[in-house]
Amino acid sequence: MTTLSRKCVPFTPFDGELSRATVAVVTAGGVHLKDQEPFNISDELGDLTFRVIPADVDSSQLMVTHHHYDHSDADEDINVVFPLDVLRDLQREDFIRDIAKKHIGYMGYTMQLKAMYEGTAPEIANEIDRGSRADVVVLTGG
Amino acid sequence: MRGIPTVLITVSPEVSAQMRPPRALYPKGFKVGNSLGRPGMRELQRRVLRDALLLLKENTRPGSFVTREYPEYGEQYEPPRVRNK
Repeated sequence: MTTLSRKCVPFTPFDGELSRATVAVVTAGGVHLKDQEPFNISDELGDLTFRVIPADVDSSQLMVTHHHYDHSDADEDINVVFPLDVLRDLQREDFIRDIAKKHIGYMGYTMQLKAMYEGTAPEIANEIDRGSRADVVVLTGG
Repeated sequence: MRGIPTVLITVSPEVSAQMRPPRALYPKGFKVGNSLGRPGMRELQRRVLRDALLLLKENTRPGSFVTREYPEYGEQYEPPRVRNK
């Protein structure tokens, strides 16, 4: 794989129009479906896995498993870290064209940075690139 | 693989900067766990998300963090700092 210099900032310009763009959300906030396996918060090294969240999910079916931030507000309204309903609003007002078929949740805490950087991150990028048809990705933390 | 343009919404700009994201929005004073605002504040959440997406159309320098203020958020919080810097 391509290795970036420590000082390099990877940058992809956006040449299109937002009103014609399909948007995906990738969150480090530990978001997943209630019927998906929760992230492993008992491993002090963190959890390197991620969950694919389909576009048509009802946001009441989403939850957070993450032990490094207070997610009580997200438990009340998942949109504070994973703005899927907010994206739906922006689509209705034609600010964006479409919502990507797949979105991603992972637990953005790890002591295994190299494995996250070289393994999980490119896997997430592949999932977005091949499976979601997104033109643009919004990243959120907790 | 082609590159995909991304924009980060972060309430911890100093911590996030260590990962060198291409472009980022910092909604000033939002606490950790409130990247888009508080629960139920849908109009504020829409504003934050629109502002983040609009950064893609601005000619930002790679690695820039843009700070925006949203007074309707209410009580303000200090962002987490990087330890052992």
